[in-house]
Amino acid sequence: MGRKMKDVLAKSIIYLATGITLCVLLFIVGFIFVKGISLVNWDFLTRDYNEKVFYAFVQEEVVPMTIDAASLSQKDPYDKRYESSLEGPIYIENIGAAIAKVAYKNNATEKEQFVFSYIEKDSPLLSAIDSTGKKLSIGTDYILESINGTDFEGLSLEDVAAQINHETGELKIKVVQPGGGVRSNIITTLYMVLVSLLIALPLGIFGAIYLTEYAKPGRLVNIIRFAAECLAGIPSIIFGLFGMAFFVVALKFQISLLSGSLTVAIILLPVIIRSTEEALKTVPTAFREGSLALGATKLQTIFKVVLPCAVPGIATAVLLSIGRVVGESAALLLTAGTVAQIPGTLFSPGSTLTVQAYYVAKEEGNIELACAIGIVIIVIVIVLNILSRITSDKLNVFNKK
Amino acid sequence: MEAIKRKKLKEKIVENIFLICACVAVISLLAITFFVFYNGLKPFVSNSYSLWSFLTGVEWRPGSNLYGILYMFVGSIFATLGAILIGVPVAILTAVFIAELAGSKVGKLIRFAVELLAGIPSVLYGVFGLGIIVPYVLKISPMAQGESLLATILVLAIMILPTVISISETSLSTVPMEYREGSYALGASKIQTIFRVVIPAARSGIMTGVILGIGRAIGETMAVMLVCGNPIAGIPTSIFSQIRPLTTNIALEMGYAAGVHQELLYSTGVVLFIFIMIINFTVNKLVKAKVGS
Amino acid sequence: MNKKIKFNAKNLDLYYGDFQALKSINLEICEKEVTAFIGPSGCGKSTFLRCLNRMNDLIDSVKIEGEIIFEGQDINGDIDVINLRTRVGMVFQKPNPFPMSIYENIAYGPKCQGVKDKTQLDTLVKESLVKAALWEEVKDRLNKSALGLSGGQQQRLCIARAIAMQPEVILMDEPTSALDPIATAKIEDLMSKLKKDYTIIIVTHSMQQAGRISDKTAFFLMGEVVEFNETPVIFTNPADKRTEDYITGRFG
Repeated sequence: MGRKMKDVLAKSIIYLATGITLCVLLFIVGFIFVKGISLVNWDFLTRDYNEKVFYAFVQEEVVPMTIDAASLSQKDPYDKRYESSLEGPIYIENIGAAIAKVAYKNNATEKEQFVFSYIEKDSPLLSAIDSTGKKLSIGTDYILESINGTDFEGLSLEDVAAQINHETGELKIKVVQPGGGVRSNIITTLYMVLVSLLIALPLGIFGAIYLTEYAKPGRLVNIIRFAAECLAGIPSIIFGLFGMAFFVVALKFQISLLSGSLTVAIILLPVIIRSTEEALKTVPTAFREGSLALGATKLQTIFKVVLPCAVPGIATAVLLSIGRVVGESAALLLTAGTVAQIPGTLFSPGSTLTVQAYYVAKEEGNIELACAIGIVIIVIVIVLNILSRITSDKLNVFNKK
Repeated sequence: MEAIKRKKLKEKIVENIFLICACVAVISLLAITFFVFYNGLKPFVSNSYSLWSFLTGVEWRPGSNLYGILYMFVGSIFATLGAILIGVPVAILTAVFIAELAGSKVGKLIRFAVELLAGIPSVLYGVFGLGIIVPYVLKISPMAQGESLLATILVLAIMILPTVISISETSLSTVPMEYREGSYALGASKIQTIFRVVIPAARSGIMTGVILGIGRAIGETMAVMLVCGNPIAGIPTSIFSQIRPLTTNIALEMGYAAGVHQELLYSTGVVLFIFIMIINFTVNKLVKAKVGS
Repeated sequence: MNKKIKFNAKNLDLYYGDFQALKSINLEICEKEVTAFIGPSGCGKSTFLRCLNRMNDLIDSVKIEGEIIFEGQDINGDIDVINLRTRVGMVFQKPNPFPMSIYENIAYGPKCQGVKDKTQLDTLVKESLVKAALWEEVKDRLNKSALGLSGGQQQRLCIARAIAMQPEVILMDEPTSALDPIATAKIEDLMSKLKKDYTIIIVTHSMQQAGRISDKTAFFLMGEVVEFNETPVIFTNPADKRTEDYITGRFG
């Protein structure tokens, strides 16, 4: 009887531990979704993080409203994250758009502002240009700050509408494109993934080919394996230090997309080498012998027979690598910076989603926004997980045959 | 004849390209070691700061030229030990559940959950810590802030779960069925078999997982940075004290440091590096020992 | 001389998923004898052996119908499996000592039953090793790993480990198939000594072995018991044509 009690006790402790693990996962994912989900919408994904102020030049042109007043007031002029409506929209004919007054909140500060709530299809606003003649696009949600030098601050909605209706000819409008989105971070992350894979994949795959197909067991192979293992164990902050000392300072690449990608590429190397090696090892020797017996050279055998068989394994390596890049933060903090912008060249800085999540949590204390970015990251991670499961199943199917 | 020669030459060239690619890992490791050590040892070689006061100081005040990392080192060790103490038992038991008790469907599901947990970037663990654990610690803490050793330990304990679980689970699954059969045939119950035969037989694999978990805990930066408090001085005296692990010291100030200050951040990296290398060697030894037996 | 019946299988059917591995087996196995199961590979002899201490429980897809009466109780019914296994020990085809010391291997079973007393364990370990004819070889290195023993020693250790449970029956699943002739001879020798105290049921591939050591032999074919009788009768005067074909080496 004592033994049964002990067994039951041990069993319940095991169940408890498993329960804790699952709860922790659910709790973390749940926390991030609950906190962040209200911020995630189309605007969040398509806007830049920083506000952008610009002057738009618009040719005044009377455009009558094509929808009725009721549906005009239905148009949601504001982004609920930041704004609450103060005065309903008024349609202004000579710019073919409706504006509304809202209260704009950003952390502690609250400001009254005028935003476009509705823009007609043939509104002159849609063909606005900047001072250099480049085409601009003004959308709903954009903040209207001044027209022809008249600042709207402190005015009522009616006054503003009357003011605009008064103006004729070419209008110079100061507009603010609202920020708070992660478009630039998503694009930076994509760049980072592409550039680092471009560097690390060939190195890793060729290195793995050398190790499995050419190298005879001996000192060199041991050294390479040992180095790869060591690299895998080094924490990313050390890679960051190295990237900073070597790529950023010694090679004068600055804090940039390139420095970040090169640093991450080194982090990826052991992952890619190991997965590719494993995939290559599963290719039966008989395939190689068959190919060689037909008079193919070793190189032809590798590229035409061995590598194609290892494709699912390499695909898994790629997916794992993408996951690593998306999740990487410490190394990128030191080598690619925290500027939320789309890097224009390889030598401009930019922050990936993960670095941005850190930045808003640490520097701005904005947990909600960090969680919203977290949702985007977790969705990416889940998709990658499912994909890698599918590819590794493919590899197994191949092995069974 | 000419064609064959050219073919052979091409084969040789490509082989060498492959070899060079394989060597990139070695070159990278050497370059990393060189650059970190070169920058990190500079201040001591040029005598701009004493190694002794660097290693034994308990204050980090770049403004008054005080750079001591002893309290950070202690903080790192405490945080890691605490995380291991809490995380490892939970992880091993979860691995036991997956490998021994769960049916194949449930096992698959939990394995997927563990993989997902492994895939979540460390920053998000930090955000979670900052949003949930820190406020909760604040409620029970006598201190004025929730960022603390305790919060760090909890976040790290969660973060090492996937590493320890997946490696332990793999080594539990490779324990031969004969051991289990032998135990059952002697009238042992399932639980007795697990604890007396299966876990001991998987011991070295589980140890590898634990050591890798230690490595992850010591090297973790971003998550810890959000929840540890990063004080400028003081050896932690209670679990509610703030700590400043070696890793966060580097990440916090590297962005703007210059001169000796920057070099001493590299020195912090050197200490961390040596620490991690010791751990790597231990893992290597363990794995080899396992292969040997 | 009427010996007591230890196991009595009645209309036993066993399925692996859809595949029927045993077809209405009826067997009576007597106490303190060696009973051998022979037959070609895949005939169900090992499967039947594993029914006797419910080792088939470990395989998910197995379904069993019919009864096996052991000491008046149907072991397929609602019984304490652990108790059954302490009374019916088993030795496997491949020696499978645990990766522990020799001493710990023997003491494992008793410890699982809650025996903690050190002197009691010591005597138990010694007795078992003596009975398994291994004591002289290992008495100086009881604390060394059992994996360092030779194959034959490992198998005798496994027998000692089973004896330490003081079982009534010992099941042996081709216990010598992984061993060399000398180690095999030692184990066969051991079996004939052990049958004074224990009921031994052995599955074997070797008809010579069955002939040498068993009192009764059952011939299995395609999941059925073709013939079951005194060993000399089976080998000299089989009733069934198929048995004769098998023992004269015409198939299998």
